[in-house]
Amino acid sequence: MRTRSIFSTSISEEENSQKARVQETMIKYLRKYWLFFILAPLFMLGEVSMDLLQPRLMGRIVDEGVLGLSNGGVGDIALVMSTGVRMIGLVLFGCLCGILSGVFANLCSQNFGNDVRKAAFRRVMAFSFEQTDRFSTGSLITRVTNDITQIQNLVSQCIRGFVRTFLLFAGGIVCMLSLHLSFGVVVACAMPLIVLCVLFFIGRANPLFAVLQEKLDRLNNVMQENVSGTRVVKAYVKEAYEQERFGAANDGLVETQLRVLLLFSYMTPIMNIILNVSVVAVIKVGALQVGAGNVTPGDVMAAVTYISQILNAVMRVNMIFQMVSRGVASGRRVQEVLDCEPAIRDGAFDGDTPVRGKVEFRDVSFAYPGMGGERVLSHLNLTIHPGETFGILGATGCGKSTLVNLIPRFYDATQGQVLVDDVDVRDYTLPALRGRIAVALQKSEVFGTTIRENIAWGDPEASEEQIRRAADAAQATEFIDAKADGLDERVAQGGHSLSGGQKQRVAIARAVLKNAEILIFDDTTSALDLKTEAKLYEALKREYADMTKIIIAQRIASVKDADRIAVIDNGRLAACGSHEELMAGSEIYRDIYDSQLKR
Amino acid sequence: MGEQREQSMSNYKLPGMRGPRNRQVEKPQEGFKTLRRLVLYFAGERRVVLFLFFVVFVVVIASVYAPRLQSDAIDSISARDFGALPATLLVMLAVYAVQSVGTFLQSRESAVLSQRVVKRMREDLFDCVVNLPVSYIDSHSHGDIMSRMTNDVENISNTVSQSLSSLFSGVLTVIGTVAMMLWLCPPLALLSCTTVILTVTATKFLSGAMRTFYRRRQALLGALNGTVEEMVGGCRTVAAYGRQEAVTASFDRTADELTRAGIFAEILGGSMGPVMNVINNVGFVIIAAFGGYFAVHGVISIGIISAFIVYAKQFGRPIDEIAQIYGQIQTAVAGAERVFAIIDEAREDKSGSGTMEGAKGVINFRGVNFSYLPGQQVLHDFDLEVRAGHKIALVGATGSGKTTVVNLLMRFYDVDSGEILIDGVNIRDIDCRSLRENTAIVLQDTVLFADTVRNNLKYGRQDATDEEMEEAARMSNCHDMILRLRDGYDTLLTGEGSLSQGQRQLLAIARAFLAQPKILILDEATSSVDTRTEKRIQDAMVKLMENRTSLIIAHRLSTIRDADYIVVMDRGRIIEAGNHEELIAARGKYYELYMTQFAGSAT
Repeated sequence: MRTRSIFSTSISEEENSQKARVQETMIKYLRKYWLFFILAPLFMLGEVSMDLLQPRLMGRIVDEGVLGLSNGGVGDIALVMSTGVRMIGLVLFGCLCGILSGVFANLCSQNFGNDVRKAAFRRVMAFSFEQTDRFSTGSLITRVTNDITQIQNLVSQCIRGFVRTFLLFAGGIVCMLSLHLSFGVVVACAMPLIVLCVLFFIGRANPLFAVLQEKLDRLNNVMQENVSGTRVVKAYVKEAYEQERFGAANDGLVETQLRVLLLFSYMTPIMNIILNVSVVAVIKVGALQVGAGNVTPGDVMAAVTYISQILNAVMRVNMIFQMVSRGVASGRRVQEVLDCEPAIRDGAFDGDTPVRGKVEFRDVSFAYPGMGGERVLSHLNLTIHPGETFGILGATGCGKSTLVNLIPRFYDATQGQVLVDDVDVRDYTLPALRGRIAVALQKSEVFGTTIRENIAWGDPEASEEQIRRAADAAQATEFIDAKADGLDERVAQGGHSLSGGQKQRVAIARAVLKNAEILIFDDTTSALDLKTEAKLYEALKREYADMTKIIIAQRIASVKDADRIAVIDNGRLAACGSHEELMAGSEIYRDIYDSQLKR
Repeated sequence: MGEQREQSMSNYKLPGMRGPRNRQVEKPQEGFKTLRRLVLYFAGERRVVLFLFFVVFVVVIASVYAPRLQSDAIDSISARDFGALPATLLVMLAVYAVQSVGTFLQSRESAVLSQRVVKRMREDLFDCVVNLPVSYIDSHSHGDIMSRMTNDVENISNTVSQSLSSLFSGVLTVIGTVAMMLWLCPPLALLSCTTVILTVTATKFLSGAMRTFYRRRQALLGALNGTVEEMVGGCRTVAAYGRQEAVTASFDRTADELTRAGIFAEILGGSMGPVMNVINNVGFVIIAAFGGYFAVHGVISIGIISAFIVYAKQFGRPIDEIAQIYGQIQTAVAGAERVFAIIDEAREDKSGSGTMEGAKGVINFRGVNFSYLPGQQVLHDFDLEVRAGHKIALVGATGSGKTTVVNLLMRFYDVDSGEILIDGVNIRDIDCRSLRENTAIVLQDTVLFADTVRNNLKYGRQDATDEEMEEAARMSNCHDMILRLRDGYDTLLTGEGSLSQGQRQLLAIARAFLAQPKILILDEATSSVDTRTEKRIQDAMVKLMENRTSLIIAHRLSTIRDADYIVVMDRGRIIEAGNHEELIAARGKYYELYMTQFAGSAT
């Protein structure tokens, strides 16, 4: 993993320093493509120059070719033709420049975007669970996809669109003034008006866009809830209520969108009228100067074209501003991802240990960050021996899952030590540590590929026989064979084509296949019926006897046959022992037992 | 000059403005029929539409007339006839003013019109979605339904607000400009048309080449976003299996491919501008050269050349635009087709007039047969009687049809044959509202809304008092948990992160309790709740459900043991029924299930 020291500056004066870091990142990733970054605007300069030359040549055609001003009023068709051919030549050259500028701009911006995207994805994959939780997966997805596209567009606009706008603006003024300085008066009058207008609309429109996005999100949210929660809506007969809720969100969106559109319906005509009045003014000024003999009618025609080019460039500033502010906002969000150093640092140990399959908690306490320091686990001591089947029971929210999440370092203990095979988990390299552990998670994550690949996910090299054996142990063979394509049946993205119990069994098979020394089931059998569950544990005992098995469960039946069972209560170890010992000695355990098995 | 103005404006990526020209075009199936239906949405807005057309007409006339005035002005200058100039300039200003006011009214009216139509369309669509039968939503991808409600409606909105008036003004401009050019100088007008042919050919060629790349890029982008979604969403599993490197490598491959395709697509797309520029300038030169020739021979004046330059541009632009708009309209109509498909979907059958007001809650299933898919029967001749005030439990393996019983009782689905009676009345004859209002249901997949805890709990009964709400929360063992949340009952529930699955289930149970139903259905409602908490909830339920009927589905036998009547189901049939003691004594399937839980223990 590459590390980026420039991001580790401490966060003070947040806004500014972050802005600076966004710039630093941009520069850092753009540096690789500096040649394209320079070539694109250069060719753009070529294209714009050709554009700016056109009106002049046109003026020449009018003055010399048609009016024959220097030829006593006799037109010169040869001149018209030769100038025409020259114009076409120049325009072809401009076209070539334009295309090349596009080539280099795209080579630069898209490769830049690609690099950032890859770096961001790599970073996200290295996040600890706590970091992922903090961003939320939804927001991480937007950052890696949409936000990066935005900054990529910003770069491409920067080196093409902005350059073009600026060159047309500056070039237009120069060309116009070179026709005659008096045209400058028109520019000087129109410019402040246009600038004021643009600033006014930027000030009004941009806050509206943020509101618009918010209203759109709200509407989508209502729809999402109604589609996925349709049973609840119907069961409580809330159709009318939901329609009202949707109506309110819809009204809000429509109202805001209308405000934006109306704002722009003022903007276009106002800008146009300024532009058109300027054209009239140029003609008027031109007429005076033609009368005075300072300029030619061709010059006036050229000046009319220039003034609209200049003012159009200014009008485009609004667009540029929006683009930049959107790009910068996205840049910031991406920067937050890149700034976030993976919280879990690798240790160095990846050697062998004399003991295999032992887990020890020494005075472990844990509090989720940002939860006001409220402890989920406090001062917990526990040793799980190699080859043991170890059950964990406890109430909803007592810290069972948290406890096992500390073993593969999905989270790090706030205090105390977690040891695997007598080595502190923080001393291992992550691959070495996680290689020793197989976890089937509470929420069974199944990927959009074949069942076979899902099971072999931890070990793509696994043989057919190994996969079959794991599926057998996980009691998944029956339902897999019932599928049309058996193991090669494709699972829909998000696993929607499998039932809850089937997903769990796939996840269990995946964990079993890994053949790690420590196997953890985090309430992974909740959707299995009792018989299937019993068969699963039987098979595990028979087929994978050496593994240390840590089983979190709700049902006592799931763990009753375990060598030892720990009862967690409010983040503390309330009792630990075999079923019989606990029945004799633990009131909580008996209570749980009674709640489940009492006749 | 006109074209630059328009181009600059179309760069504003406004919601409701047209997208880039190279977006993919979709072809609708029954374009004409859909279009007619779409037009019907405007029937009520006839006056606005007519006004809009009138305004567009005026704007087009003004913009066709303005260059003509400009040419007069240039002519006056060339002829050094400065006396006529001020009058021309004044008229010019007036025409520009008319044009501006017209443009303002045009964009304003079309904004109002489009938003009104879209608002109605969204409401209609939502009205349908909320009344769709559950079977439709179960059998269609939620993403697809969502995309019809968002993307497709948005697309229609954009087309309506922009394209229609642009199309009208485009056609009018072409007609007006051609007429003007022909009137000014027929030969030059015909020569100008060569540019049009060039434009059309170039557009066709380039967009054909672009389409392949854009399609490829779109597909890769979809794949990339899919990967990100899946891997970031499943990042715990990725981490647990140490697959970061492999996942990242495959992501990099897709990303590189996407970049390559993107570069080609964008370069081609970006060439469109310069190529059009060349064509425009070729037209420019043709006019200058031939116009110059004609001028030298005194056929036309200098001013007419200048007017022609403007006209030629004014004339090429709408043609390019009309082609684009045509594509957009096609895409929008295809979207409208999908939207109408949902609107046309049969609504949930909610007929029935009986009420459940005095109902006692006797439930009868008589000879019920049901299948979700033809040929795969889920319930066979299902007979069941639930006495009023009883607590009945359904057990059985996954797929044995337990949840189907609930689906039928709630009329989420209707029976194929047989009947379901409540207090002797067929549920088809009971008003669906009344049936559901008196039946509360808690599902395994807990649905909570992005709202406060309070509003979520009161979802079933808005007029409940806070005391009643807290009482329901206490009964379902979540009062203390709620108080520990940041804002207590006013905490906003967002996404999945903030509460555990078990806690969400407790809230859903409280919501059902608060609704004070006559019939309560718990479908694996406590699967993520520990058994001691569950026991406490059940004890509380006994009091609440006194004289009311409850139906409980669970894997955990502890959940159902206290039921008055336990029904063991297997493959859509009842194989055993009775209370716990009777079933244990019968030593059948239930006994077997029970013993798996008991195996090895001495009791």
